[in-house]
Amino acid sequence: MLFNGTRRRASHLDMRPLLVMACLAVLGARNPDRARRDRVASVPTDTLPPRDSALHALNRLAYGPRPGEVDRVAAMGVMHWIDQQLEPERLPDRVLARREREFQLLRTDDAELAQMFQAARREQEERRRARTDGMMEPGMNDPQAGERQRVAAQLQQLVVLRAVVSERQLQEVMTDFWINHFNVYWAKGADRVYMPSYVEQVIRPRVLGKFSDLLIATAQSPAMLFYLDNWESVATGASPPAQGPRGQSQRALARQPKGPNENYARELMELHTLGVDGGYTQRDVQEVARLFTGWSIARPAQGGRFEFNEWAHDYGEKTIRGVRFPAGHGMDEGIRLLKILANDPATMHHVSRRLCARFVADEPPDGCVDAAAGAWARTNGDIRQVLRAIFQSPEFWSREARRAKVKTPLEFLISAVRAVGGDPDTTPRLAQIVTRLGQPLYLEPSPAGYPESQEDWVNSGALLQRMNTAVALAEGRLPGVSVALDGLLPATANADSLLEALDRSLLGGIISDHTRDVVRRETADVHDPAIARALVLGFALGGPEFQRQ
Amino acid sequence: MTISRRVFVQSGGLAMLSLGLDPLFLARAAYGPYRHPTGASDGPVLVCLFMRGAVDGLNLIVPHGDPLYYQERPRIAIPAPDVIDLDGHFGLHPRLAALKPLWDNKSLVAIHAVGSPEATRSHFDAQDYMESGTPGVKATRDGWVNRYCQHDAEHANTPFRAVAFGPQLPRALAGSAPTLAIDDLHAFGLQVPRAAARDRLTRAFEELYAGAETGVLASSGQESFEAIRLLQQANPLQYRPADGVDYPRGHLGRSLMQIAQLIKARVGLRIAYLDATGWDTHVNQGASDGQLAGLLDDLGAALAAFATDLGERLRDVVVLTMSEFGRAVRENGSGGTDHGHATAMLVFGGGVNGGRVAGRWPTLDPAARYEGRDLAVTTDFRDLFGELLVGHLGATNLAAVFPGHSMNPASSPGVLRAT
Repeated sequence: MLFNGTRRRASHLDMRPLLVMACLAVLGARNPDRARRDRVASVPTDTLPPRDSALHALNRLAYGPRPGEVDRVAAMGVMHWIDQQLEPERLPDRVLARREREFQLLRTDDAELAQMFQAARREQEERRRARTDGMMEPGMNDPQAGERQRVAAQLQQLVVLRAVVSERQLQEVMTDFWINHFNVYWAKGADRVYMPSYVEQVIRPRVLGKFSDLLIATAQSPAMLFYLDNWESVATGASPPAQGPRGQSQRALARQPKGPNENYARELMELHTLGVDGGYTQRDVQEVARLFTGWSIARPAQGGRFEFNEWAHDYGEKTIRGVRFPAGHGMDEGIRLLKILANDPATMHHVSRRLCARFVADEPPDGCVDAAAGAWARTNGDIRQVLRAIFQSPEFWSREARRAKVKTPLEFLISAVRAVGGDPDTTPRLAQIVTRLGQPLYLEPSPAGYPESQEDWVNSGALLQRMNTAVALAEGRLPGVSVALDGLLPATANADSLLEALDRSLLGGIISDHTRDVVRRETADVHDPAIARALVLGFALGGPEFQRQ
Repeated sequence: MTISRRVFVQSGGLAMLSLGLDPLFLARAAYGPYRHPTGASDGPVLVCLFMRGAVDGLNLIVPHGDPLYYQERPRIAIPAPDVIDLDGHFGLHPRLAALKPLWDNKSLVAIHAVGSPEATRSHFDAQDYMESGTPGVKATRDGWVNRYCQHDAEHANTPFRAVAFGPQLPRALAGSAPTLAIDDLHAFGLQVPRAAARDRLTRAFEELYAGAETGVLASSGQESFEAIRLLQQANPLQYRPADGVDYPRGHLGRSLMQIAQLIKARVGLRIAYLDATGWDTHVNQGASDGQLAGLLDDLGAALAAFATDLGERLRDVVVLTMSEFGRAVRENGSGGTDHGHATAMLVFGGGVNGGRVAGRWPTLDPAARYEGRDLAVTTDFRDLFGELLVGHLGATNLAAVFPGHSMNPASSPGVLRAT
């Protein structure tokens, strides 16, 4: 991994002691060393019972509690649990490791995937021809295409599986965050091939590392280069060295890139780093586009890797936001710019704000954004320390922040499956439910990624689908997951006992008096314990309380 | 927030009143006669049909009067005798014959050489731009239909104001205003096999959302149950199209039939959105028969059935077909066409200034083509969409719907009759 113990400890000491202490005191940390060291606590602004703080942390740093987990985290001390989550490489994750072996996708590289896709495409063309010529019935099955789809579906399936079973919950949450921050649309051309390696090799190893490393890795990833068209970006007037004796077809000539492409340059500053108000002009966008000319892919159709094309690069002088990039430089000037952007104050603020919107509130309070940006400045964008600052900010634990966020479709489904101790099977069916709920994984077309605001996720159609999903899960008929409720909830038709057990051991204490009244009334005439249990659980998971985190 | 307060207060109040009463009474209260605020009057409806894959505009609205058309397409041009002539220069693909009556009664207009100012030949990018409504700006999060909804205060805000027929919300409808994706009207609502259980769940969930929360969860919850009630009134299972109307089987026919149902049910539908796929005809495109012909056959039959089914009600409805770009003028070596630039779109319905081909025709002259090979764009799609939003739906804030594009009446293609 990227971080060693010495470095971690050193930066730990950097933290602002007051906040640490306040939080530790409030949250009843059981780690004796740390508690002693930080004993000079200030007066807590908001005292939370340990179970409440555990639930809050499990809702935000994880995909919600599994059965009994609120008690477990409360007992170990929530700050201790958070520390563990911040060091996932030290957390054993054997169940997930075993399950991941089912995924052939994790053993397939880009070139192999490209071959598979090309073969499938040829088959498809053949079939289309055959059909037009009347030689083949529509709908005839093509085993190759089936295989391709199966492997592709594994990518979505992996998200769901990891989110449900991984012990390294924060790592999964941060993977989702960065995948979304550096969004790539899976269905765009060659990104069908590049998406798996983008997830596994570009994003996942760096989710808690240095932001600059992550930024450079995405900039050089074929997935991003293809998605935002930079692979076709060439200096004005540049053309590739002659390719073979036959020359180029008219079609190839028409496809020949003709100059710099600004797409990546613009999104790099607007979305990935500075933010839309981060202080750059259209002129800067053009200069950045020139600077990244030649950052390309070797043969995207074959799943080729990143390559820097000297012939396509604009070696002239550039000035970006007042910084001069002298003439004569090649790929190095791109790296130089990415490093500058990664630690620009506007970037610190913009990305910190997005992190706080994810972890604290849709409209994040200034306090936690400042805390995060401060940690960023002190540690040169060490994501682990930025997160630590957020989790130790009073805003994270404030009354206003708790249960203030509505779950995204993914968060809703995963938290529901975790709440009932569900086990995803080996099919992509559970991932397809995330699609039906409105959040098809890796398939958001806009480079802005999926939104973080509740207005975008809560609408009547989507809410009905959540209720349907909850009821199906409670009845044990949600496809793609097995649920065993017998050990979790008592065999009784008494709504109060069911609600009590459910709220206590599965949900962490969220059920309102109003919900209790409604559920009690609506199940009063139900005497079959199994039906009563399914109804009560369905109401609880499909009702308004569980949509919040 | 853009949720209708009127709707919310109305049904929220109903639910509040019934708190603490027995379930039977609740059921009656919830399912009793219900009048939607907009139910009394017919409002305008815009139906958008996205032909995904870039339809070959030149074989849709055929410039049969131009010899270059036949020179460039020796294998796939529609033979002159087959073309359904419209005005001596342009004609309909023969498989769109079902739409000819709409042309004849002047309620169908074709717009040629329409497209995006951003000349990408990527399906993904071009569809994205056409749906975000901001060509060249990738980071736009919401779609133009959604922005119309956000800024439209004129029309009552019902759960069915903007509905996409399909499993997922398309980009054009995505955003902060409530919009719906419905795969099948019959399956809308709580999906529980037994009716008794479904009623119990519906009733309970409505109460849970009505009483426990404020804000977007509560209002959306209320909207969900209103939508269910409105649909129960419309009773989609009992729907019978008008006499003699036979929608073609398949997604297109079924979706258009369900749109007709919603329109007739007066649930406040303003914009309906649906997809038709398969237009990416690189190989064996065919001419009067073949691949494209088969797709157009389905399209023509479905649209004609829809128009007939609506009957008088078509007066308030405008249908717009769109596609992300057109195809190259010259056919390729595989009997198909490669990605091009401008395409043709169709508009029909009430208030349409029909019976003509609108838009400036740039000609097929190689010198007038885009990059020497594709039909040039002479009408920005936003000018067409914008005209329909203003002229048909009464939109007042186009600057918000198509930011960065200055609309001016002179550049609008004039597909609607001046009133």
